Amino acid sequence: MARRTEPPDGGWGWVVVLSAFFQSALVFGVLRSFGVFFVEFVAAFEEQAARVSWIASIGIAVQQFGSPVGSALSTKFGPRPVVMTGGILAALGMLLASFATSLTHLYLSIGLLSGSGWALTFAPTLACLSCYFSRRRSLATGLALTGVGLSSFTFAPFFQWLLSHYAWRGSLLLVSALSLHLVACGALLRPPSLAEDPAVGGPRAQLTSLLHHGPFLRYTVALTLINTGYFIPYLHLVSHLQDLDWDPLPAAFLLSVAAISDLVGRVVSGWLGDAVPGPVTRLLMLWTTLTGVSLALFPVAQAPTALVALAVAYGFTSGALAPLAFSVLPELIGTRRIYCGLGLLQMIESIGGLLGPPLSGYLRDVTGNYTASFVVAGAFLLSGSGILLTLPHFFCFSTTTSRPQDLVTEALDTKVPLPKEGLEED
Amino acid sequence: MRALPGLLEARARTSRLLLLQCLLAAARPSSADGSAPDSPFTSPPLREEIMANNFSLESHNISLTGSTLYTQYRFTIINSKQMGSYSCFFREEKEQRGTFNFKVPELHGKNKPLISYVGDSTVLTCKCQNCFPLNWTWYSSNGSVKVPVGVQMNKYVINGTYANETKLKITQLLEEDGGSYWCRALFQLGESEEHIELVVLSYLVPLKPFLVIVAEVILLVATILLCEKYTQKKKKHSDEGKEFEQIEQLKSDDSNGIENNVPRHRKNESLGQ
Repeated sequence: MARRTEPPDGGWGWVVVLSAFFQSALVFGVLRSFGVFFVEFVAAFEEQAARVSWIASIGIAVQQFGSPVGSALSTKFGPRPVVMTGGILAALGMLLASFATSLTHLYLSIGLLSGSGWALTFAPTLACLSCYFSRRRSLATGLALTGVGLSSFTFAPFFQWLLSHYAWRGSLLLVSALSLHLVACGALLRPPSLAEDPAVGGPRAQLTSLLHHGPFLRYTVALTLINTGYFIPYLHLVSHLQDLDWDPLPAAFLLSVAAISDLVGRVVSGWLGDAVPGPVTRLLMLWTTLTGVSLALFPVAQAPTALVALAVAYGFTSGALAPLAFSVLPELIGTRRIYCGLGLLQMIESIGGLLGPPLSGYLRDVTGNYTASFVVAGAFLLSGSGILLTLPHFFCFSTTTSRPQDLVTEALDTKVPLPKEGLEED
Repeated sequence: MRALPGLLEARARTSRLLLLQCLLAAARPSSADGSAPDSPFTSPPLREEIMANNFSLESHNISLTGSTLYTQYRFTIINSKQMGSYSCFFREEKEQRGTFNFKVPELHGKNKPLISYVGDSTVLTCKCQNCFPLNWTWYSSNGSVKVPVGVQMNKYVINGTYANETKLKITQLLEEDGGSYWCRALFQLGESEEHIELVVLSYLVPLKPFLVIVAEVILLVATILLCEKYTQKKKKHSDEGKEFEQIEQLKSDDSNGIENNVPRHRKNESLGQ
């Protein structure tokens, strides 16, 4: 009995990491390479950029908004049936989209149906991963998330190749078949043999305590602003390059170059976040500011070399901020409320992901090119990074803040009053 | 001696007076010796000629200013027969020439085939830069015969928002609608045409790889689940043998009593992280 309540930290856990790797590739890689389809939809439906952008933004928003639902269902039924259902929904959405005759059809099939499918796959998988790992959880999560970077690199040119042979209808059909592999990944999620889920206070109590937590609310606002600008290049870069008279295939390759540097940025940032002492918030602010600046510089660049350099810079900095955005949260609210906090954070920041791309598309329709869109996206990122300045311990340079996570959990468990320097109060 | 040729693509609209000028400049020798250089050109026994499409025109107005020799030809473009290349030749020891090319604007279509599906509608576009054609026509060809796209049921010629583009919209595509299409622009001074390839696929084309991949996924899922059932059966057999050992261990744990509760409590708490 004593051995079973500890997570194995290995064994079948590595198979779960592999499954999570492929799932993050199939969910986020597809979402990010959707910029290639965007150009085709604008031409095929003769619609404006703003209206076509809603497809991807509805998909992103539903995926983020539905994450808490996915985690809740998986705690009840186990991750396997939930993820397999999610895979079927995602594939079904793409399949129905291949028969689309109007833009609304695409909103519902890709946005709503595939989006909810994606919501049911990703969150339960991460939860399952946490059940299998405790000491090496961040390594396992990091390895799983590299799937996003690698798939963005390969999917963009691959989708372009599909489009040149099968047009958008056939390509959506084949992407649906690709997404069906999520079901196979779900089959690998063997429920761990843990006795019970450690209950950490009722969810409603946690929720109300989070909503009164000032730093958490400010962090949510900051991430919402960042989310608004974050997805815009992945959706509109290909279209912007075609406005500059690039051919579709080199444009798709630029997207994959950005994806490679995104991957490198994630790994480097994860390593840097552990190596550099002090709150991770500072590094997050650095990367967010640099991302905003590189976004705002996109319209200025005309020469191919400048565009490639900016794509690399954007990819690196935006990849760098992704793992840090996740690891700032335990520093702010403690690991006991992490699941509730993560779900709430994803729900609220999905508003940014929902509104960002259509706003960018609307600006493009009004002004005729993407200058205003990219500059506004950069502005959103910079304002989000500005709010990060207001988080606690940002300007604190004492050495006691090096491991705030441990300090917080120790205080809550042993109930010994610690000096206020390394703590935030509940 | 160097010739400064002019290479010009003139976009003639209505009848227009044109002046073609060829200049031949001599490289000035350095005046290190202080003496003023003589004009390198001798007076006009130089032979100069203007040709159009290999037909010789009269030579006009050869004159010399300083060390530049220039000749010009003035004419009016009225009809398409005057399109082509005009060259001026200076013949001394070496022949120097400059060429003017006149042609109607080129059209731009798509260099890759347009792919669409049965039952869909598609739009073929042809455009040219800075041009004002009098007329646009569309042709479709099966093999070598070009047939104008006329009053067929599903094909509509839409002239674009600007005069320099034209669109052919085809609705309710059938497989026979696929093939080569030509758009032709008629100018006062000639015609220009461009080729666009349309490929019409039926749904069966992507459906086959789709079904293959779905079958592969089903196979994969079945393999994974069957493998798991097999290993679970194995575990059950080996677990039955271990039951006696576990019961004995539990008995020894119970006899220890309260002392073991504290370490267990702490382990659960560490799980809460």
